[in-house]
Amino acid sequence: MTDMLETIRDDCIRGRRAELLRAVNLALASGIGAETVMTQALIPAMSVVGERYSTGEYFLAEMMLGARAMSEAMQLLEPHLAQGTYETKARVVLGTVAGDYHDIGKNIVGMMLQGGGYEVVDLGVDVSPQSFVEAIAREKPRLVLMSALLTLTMEGMRATVQALVGAGVRERVVVGIGGAPLTQNFADEIGADFYAADAHDCVVKCNQLLHSGA
Amino acid sequence: MAALNLGQPDRVPWVENDIEEVLQIQLMGGRTNYTPGELCRVLGMDGFGYHFPTGAAGVAGQALQTSKSVKEAFYFPKRITFDFVPPWIAEMGVEPGGRTFIKKGLLVDRASLELFDEFLPDPDHPARYEQVAKWIEQYREDYAVFARIRLGTASTIESMGLGVFSLMLYDDPDLVKEIHRRFSEWTVRVVENLNKLAFDFYWANDDHADTKMPWVNLGMYEEFLYPFQKMVADAIKKPWAFHSDGNLVPILDGLLKLGMNAIHPIQPAAMDIGKIKAQYGSRVCIIGNIDLDYTLTLGTPQQVDGEVKERIEVAGKDGGYIISSANSLTDYCKIENVRAMAKAVKKYGTYQGAR
Repeated sequence: MTDMLETIRDDCIRGRRAELLRAVNLALASGIGAETVMTQALIPAMSVVGERYSTGEYFLAEMMLGARAMSEAMQLLEPHLAQGTYETKARVVLGTVAGDYHDIGKNIVGMMLQGGGYEVVDLGVDVSPQSFVEAIAREKPRLVLMSALLTLTMEGMRATVQALVGAGVRERVVVGIGGAPLTQNFADEIGADFYAADAHDCVVKCNQLLHSGA
Repeated sequence: MAALNLGQPDRVPWVENDIEEVLQIQLMGGRTNYTPGELCRVLGMDGFGYHFPTGAAGVAGQALQTSKSVKEAFYFPKRITFDFVPPWIAEMGVEPGGRTFIKKGLLVDRASLELFDEFLPDPDHPARYEQVAKWIEQYREDYAVFARIRLGTASTIESMGLGVFSLMLYDDPDLVKEIHRRFSEWTVRVVENLNKLAFDFYWANDDHADTKMPWVNLGMYEEFLYPFQKMVADAIKKPWAFHSDGNLVPILDGLLKLGMNAIHPIQPAAMDIGKIKAQYGSRVCIIGNIDLDYTLTLGTPQQVDGEVKERIEVAGKDGGYIISSANSLTDYCKIENVRAMAKAVKKYGTYQGAR
């Protein structure tokens, strides 16, 4: 079993999707549970991918290969996971704020969060404060993550936090922000819970906050 | 031009890759029909390119690309422009303020290669060159005039979508190369025509990176991007500047083999202009990098003044430096900060001993 899980981890880290899917099918056929494959192989593999991207060892293409392989492996596992007791770590609502149409950073964060064991609801781009409020009521997430690439649009994050406060839902969620012009100071200023420097940092901070009972 | 050639002129020149039209109109006191030279005099700039409202309402966005009639718009420009960039082969959206943006790249597989015929104008059609030649003659005065072009990389990445591009480097590398080749060959034809016009230099706009790092490593850059960029670089017969946002350090040695005269903008959040000047300043002119994330957009005139002074001290030593914003002057820059930049460049930009 250890060898099979090691193979799955290695194929996922290297983004070898065909080999990964074969290895996952083999593991399932051998009686290894889907939850074991997720928690002991795929999620640790994506953590390695994220670290390598964070340190600059992996560039965007390698990171996306790993994330795609993981995503396809998860599709194989989902029917099996649904039959068992596996639960994702938490549900995350994710979006690029109003007036901003950049999505690549948000998409990378979404992929890494899925790889990190989260359920991601992607609201897309140009998401108004009201849309975030409605998504909280509808999806009941634990985390709300906002992306902005421009100085022009980052004020939309402040407006969104204010909207969450106004709607009485701020205390229900952990709010994180990310994007090129942002800093932890800005996060503190607008009342967000954290700023993440990149996708891997976001996953790490989400894990830390959940672990601390936030 | 002295600075582009690594010389030290009498003062630090100021040129911008773009000044968004809405900001131009503000700077011109609400007027929409003014010459590029009038705008340069208001700010104290030394050159121009990009596009101007020409009596109409200001419009933002890359080369005024709309989702329709890209060929007609290219052949017969209705506004003063010096741009020769290819259209994105993409589904475009329009923001409420009129700015266009890319919704989705359309070059996603081999079948989509047929879209090149649909989108790319004939690079040898004479109309745009004839019109722009007239505008150069009419508006040049004593200013340096530049044409904006692309080497093909930005066109490839944006027309595929960064995600598709990244995955196709592994799934179908020949497709990526074919797409880049077609964009670069188009620009080669454009540049061969531009070389006959009276432009002083070219400004090639091709984003390669985000704040963290380039989207490809050096090996991928050398295999997938450099050969096609080199085709364009070899066709260029005038000085030229290279623009990319983000952290280029991991691939900068590869990029510099293209032989550009200048690099822009040395985005402050991604690269240190002092280190770049120290390491590369003897090889290439530095253009940049008054901050847009905060200083020009959220800061104060005093902060702008301080940053201009500091940049000139750090990057202007011994010439080979042109001051600019850290990308372009956008319509969300504070007008008082842009005016403060103009004052500060004039105040601090004279080289010692030069009068």
